[in-house]
Amino acid sequence: MRLPTKIGRGLVVGAGIGGIRAALDLAETGVRVTLIDRSPYIGGILTQLDHQFPSDRCGMCRMLPLMDRDAGSQQCLRRGFYHDNIEILPGTELAELSGDAGNFTASLRRRPALVDPSRCIGCGACAEVCPVSVPDAFNAGLSQRKAIYRPVPHAACAPYVIDTDACNRCGACLDACTTGAIRLMSKRREAFRILVVDDEEIVRESLKEWLHEEEGFGVETAASGPEALTKMAEAESPYRLMLLDIKMPEMDGVEALRRAKEIDPEICVVMMTAYAAVDTAVEAMKIGALDYLIKPFETDVLIPRIVSIYGDLDADPADELLVGAVVLCGGTRLFSPAQGRNLWGHGVIPNVVTAIEFERLLSGTGPLSGGPLVRADGKPVERIAWMQCVGSRNLQIEADFCSSICCMFALKQAMLAKEKSGGQIDASIFYMDLRTYGKPYQQYRDKAEEMGVKFRRARVHSIFREEESGDLIVRNSDYESVGHDDHFDMAVLSAGHRPMTGMAEMAEMLDIPLNPWGYMATKPLSLTRTEREGIFIGGSFGGIMDINETLIRAGAAANRASRVIHSTGGGLGEAVSETEEYRDVASETPRIMAALCNCFESNPLENNPDAAARLKADPEVAEVRSFDALCTEAGWNGLCKRIRESAPNRVLVGACLPFIHARRLKALARETGLDPIYMEAVDIRGAGLPRHLLTMAAERLKRVEPEREPSLPNHQRALVVGGGIAGMTAALAIADHGFPVDLVERSEKLGGNLNWLERTIEGDPFSPLLEEMSEKVTTHPKIEVRTRATVIGASGEAGDFVSVIETAEDCPESPKHESPKHETLEHGAVILAAGGREAETTAYGHGTSDAVVTQKELETRLKKGEIDIGKLGSVVMIQCVGSREAPRNYCSRVCCAGSLKHALRIREENPETAVYVLYRDMMAYGFLETYYTRARRSGVIFISYEVTAKPEVEFTEAGLIVKVHEPVIGRPLEIETDLLVLATGITPDLPPELAAGYGAQIDTNGFFQEADAKWRPVDALKEGIFACGLTQAPRSVPETIATAEAAAHRALRILCRPHLTPARVTAKVRHAYCARCGQCIDACPYGARTLNPETDQIIIHPAMCQGCGACAAICPNSAAVLEGFTLAGMLAAIDAATEAEDGAGRTAQKEEAAQ
Amino acid sequence: MKTAQKNPPAHSVHSVHKTPTNPPDILAPVREMIQACIQCGTCTGSCPNAFAMDISPRGMWRMVIMGEDEKIAEELFNTKTFTLCSSCYTCTLRCPRGLPLTDAIQALKRIQTRHYPEKAKKNIHFYASFLESVRRHGRVRETEFMTLFFLSMKNPFLPFSFAPLAIRLMAKGKVKPGFPSAGNGALDPIFQKARELEASS
Repeated sequence: MRLPTKIGRGLVVGAGIGGIRAALDLAETGVRVTLIDRSPYIGGILTQLDHQFPSDRCGMCRMLPLMDRDAGSQQCLRRGFYHDNIEILPGTELAELSGDAGNFTASLRRRPALVDPSRCIGCGACAEVCPVSVPDAFNAGLSQRKAIYRPVPHAACAPYVIDTDACNRCGACLDACTTGAIRLMSKRREAFRILVVDDEEIVRESLKEWLHEEEGFGVETAASGPEALTKMAEAESPYRLMLLDIKMPEMDGVEALRRAKEIDPEICVVMMTAYAAVDTAVEAMKIGALDYLIKPFETDVLIPRIVSIYGDLDADPADELLVGAVVLCGGTRLFSPAQGRNLWGHGVIPNVVTAIEFERLLSGTGPLSGGPLVRADGKPVERIAWMQCVGSRNLQIEADFCSSICCMFALKQAMLAKEKSGGQIDASIFYMDLRTYGKPYQQYRDKAEEMGVKFRRARVHSIFREEESGDLIVRNSDYESVGHDDHFDMAVLSAGHRPMTGMAEMAEMLDIPLNPWGYMATKPLSLTRTEREGIFIGGSFGGIMDINETLIRAGAAANRASRVIHSTGGGLGEAVSETEEYRDVASETPRIMAALCNCFESNPLENNPDAAARLKADPEVAEVRSFDALCTEAGWNGLCKRIRESAPNRVLVGACLPFIHARRLKALARETGLDPIYMEAVDIRGAGLPRHLLTMAAERLKRVEPEREPSLPNHQRALVVGGGIAGMTAALAIADHGFPVDLVERSEKLGGNLNWLERTIEGDPFSPLLEEMSEKVTTHPKIEVRTRATVIGASGEAGDFVSVIETAEDCPESPKHESPKHETLEHGAVILAAGGREAETTAYGHGTSDAVVTQKELETRLKKGEIDIGKLGSVVMIQCVGSREAPRNYCSRVCCAGSLKHALRIREENPETAVYVLYRDMMAYGFLETYYTRARRSGVIFISYEVTAKPEVEFTEAGLIVKVHEPVIGRPLEIETDLLVLATGITPDLPPELAAGYGAQIDTNGFFQEADAKWRPVDALKEGIFACGLTQAPRSVPETIATAEAAAHRALRILCRPHLTPARVTAKVRHAYCARCGQCIDACPYGARTLNPETDQIIIHPAMCQGCGACAAICPNSAAVLEGFTLAGMLAAIDAATEAEDGAGRTAQKEEAAQ
Repeated sequence: MKTAQKNPPAHSVHSVHKTPTNPPDILAPVREMIQACIQCGTCTGSCPNAFAMDISPRGMWRMVIMGEDEKIAEELFNTKTFTLCSSCYTCTLRCPRGLPLTDAIQALKRIQTRHYPEKAKKNIHFYASFLESVRRHGRVRETEFMTLFFLSMKNPFLPFSFAPLAIRLMAKGKVKPGFPSAGNGALDPIFQKARELEASS
């Protein structure tokens, strides 16, 4: 039995994809996790997005656990998920956190669930009768929903929830609900007693009318302070909220407040004041009032405020939870262009939409149901403009940052629009710099260009509407003209992001400072560690980023949290429980018990007489029974009892929420001793044909063959290749969990690129980091460091890699040259951190003149003092040298920041030095934008150039002259310069034969090829191999550290298991039928199948096989089969689905044929 | 951006030297104001007068940034872009860098007046005549203002270009015919003070 044995407990705040990643990473290594989210659903913003760049599809399911797959759901993650080690609490907030790292006490405030999730079956009867209709936030307000609704329509197990702000408490849903899931909230409100104290009768009466008659609160009134105090003293049940006027005769409000607090310190008091007396109200807040309201009241302000106070006060009492570490994955908030000046007319001019609204318009579950785009006046949409930097890169609205993802978002949407319309839609993107700084993103932009998306370098400030045609008019300027108008049918505002609502309050509560951009600050050189030990930031909560980056940082934060939990006693090395022991029923004749839920209302047997009859006629179905409401505890207990009594050896459950039942079947298995492989739950209430589903499942159950591949022993030891910052970080991240690590470094010294890099653009020096890390790594008892060592032989698979290490024994210069030492290491996982280096170039005369240097050469020479900035008259920097075009068609992402860093330094040390930066797109993503602004402000001149018209360099007697076309003033420039700095980008150092030895793939540029660029950013497709740092993709040092921690944690999923156990659905081989043709080996995308030359048999690695079935599909002899999906079972199921009557004969024939 | 290569500009090649050749960097104060410009073109797209300008406001700011060099500075003052600004402040309102663009244009006008008076001749005389009329009467007398302007421009044909407008205005009674007169000098001390302030700045 898989008992939650881990004492260490993680709390993940926010259940967007960042939170889900962090929670799963912790859970897969055996830490118990509580995952909370304040919204009533999980999945965050991704629930609204159907397509993600650069694949233009969803791939969320790739985040699902790959180790111990049976512990969690294996279905579409967008529809929901579960994991044995994760407790998911939607509608819950972190109210308080006390204690220290390893021993936090978290109080969680849960909103009362007005619809009982365990009873709601999602039938929708309540929404049908609900009379209230409000804009649907899920569709970004483009469609309507009821006050009782499903927050995410496609979620499988999320129940209906009630929007208390919109609900008018008519009670219609109560009567409609067949399962009695809806609670009587009116009683709760009536019990919430409010005392209104005001000397004016009109105020008392209006408040009573609004709050009692309309909102249903228990309201009483008092005309003076003393009367109120008397009422309080005599009240049987305490008042929860007092609305107190300040200016009253006899006793003023402040005095009344003071005395009221003496009588009942718990009472919440809100002052009511005229505008003139706000000062007094503020004084009152200092002695205990919660807030104040200004008279005259506006009902649309007053009532939501009271309702919100009610919501806070009436939340169920906070749950206290002991946790070792906290990961904050609260996500980000979208900028609303309609606020402030709204120059784009969002919400005012028809057909002006935000990016998220456009995403919903494209979606199949959106307001257009995936149909063609139409304008508000019904005409088809043929011309769309994307406006970049709406709410970003704008100092006037305090947004001196780049929202990082909108450029890629716009590219994706433009291509989707093109694709959807068969290329008919004319798509234009108005931009300033197109920031495609991820590894595959430049190619994505090229693809957009090929598809005919137009790129127009101009910022659009406002949109007008032409009355006659209804067209949108976008006034913009290109370089040649002084401005012109373009007509569009639709404009998409690439609205940026802001810190999440409540960020500042949470930072204050947790005592973590905010950074200048309003996000929680992290420690220098770390993107996850906050000032408070034990609290980590994952994903966009610390600044905006895309999915790839979010998952990396969530993984890194999970690793950090896990280390805190581990170091304070929550051992990760404890055994993950082994397979449960079940009754052996393999040789018995199937005796199926079909348990059908009657769902409170009707007898399923009567509803499906046909199915029931067929089931009953089946000799192998021992029993067909109907149960009362299986989704309730009582119903479920009835089922357990019945199974124990009649001991069937197969159980078929027909109910309405198979997603939930799938999880409960495991519990049932533990209670009844029947392997869950013999159980199946099918939907008999949802859409489809219940009759077929039931008989199909019955046919499958009859043919279940429960053999499992045996477990494999696992070498709980890791090899890290590369001793740069990535390798050292990864080694420490693993070794801190108590597992031994071998670290292999090719050169004599650890540190890699950190040996020459001086400091970050923020000014944090690297040398202390390098010293600290080298010291920790070399002295760590679990880490064995080998320098001047290389991996010369690599083979194996997860749990059992074998590497041959060659270590140079002696100094090569020494005459007494000894032969190198060879060792063979066995390890369960390998982390490739081979690093990368600055790309070499001969462009622009590099190598022929001392005046032409690369960024690295500049940094090294500045560090050594070989360049006297005081003597430089002019410096020219050229970006993207040999980058972002074939053959190195990727952005190296660090060079723009590097140039900004150097330019700022030069201007600072000698303001007389003119600095010119020749760029294509300045990739000053995220907070780097601030440094871009600073560089401009300091007088650095930025000149953009096109890849088709690169700068030219001329060496004259007078010196170096750089020729470039200056597009804004439209003329060629000749810049005399003393120093030319080339940003050449990064090339990876991963030896292809090393990657191939382990079975990892590399991409066309030599970088490690991830299993999925978006969703599995540090994993290879073959399990057990991970990469981080520059081997994986160009990244800054702090970003590299994050990838290393993320990769280490992925490796820990394997290392923490003494044995690798196959999951329930795993492929196997029927050796007697196998012809050793090897097709299955090629077909397996995970590299899980090999031919064992000794036994001449195909063997399957149980941990690497993910049960996809590719082998079963390709095998010509039906020798490759997938557990639970045998050919006979599948054919019988298909027969059951397609045949109306009497299918048994044909099934039997096919079965024979299959044999 | 792409068309930039298709239509090679008529301008000659411009050389940027290591040591700028313009010792008094007259554009420095304006550059200071707009240094953080990112050449996004919002100002050009916003400008209601852009249609009449010879170079775009975006181009003008670029020249200010590059105008440490005398040649570019001189070229800038040969354009009429900044003189056409009607101070509507739309660009200032919309600039994503929050730059004081309208103020910077005013500064350009002042620099032109001081350093290139011959290029600003019309403007200088126009404003001087306007203010002279204000000094004399405390308000503008349109016919007097224009008479003073024509006299100072010393161009006998200039009045004819304004004749059609003058006739239309007079027909509607918007301006009254009249002759210049000396006024009572009541505002002289204010003007005197302003001159002193200007001289000392």
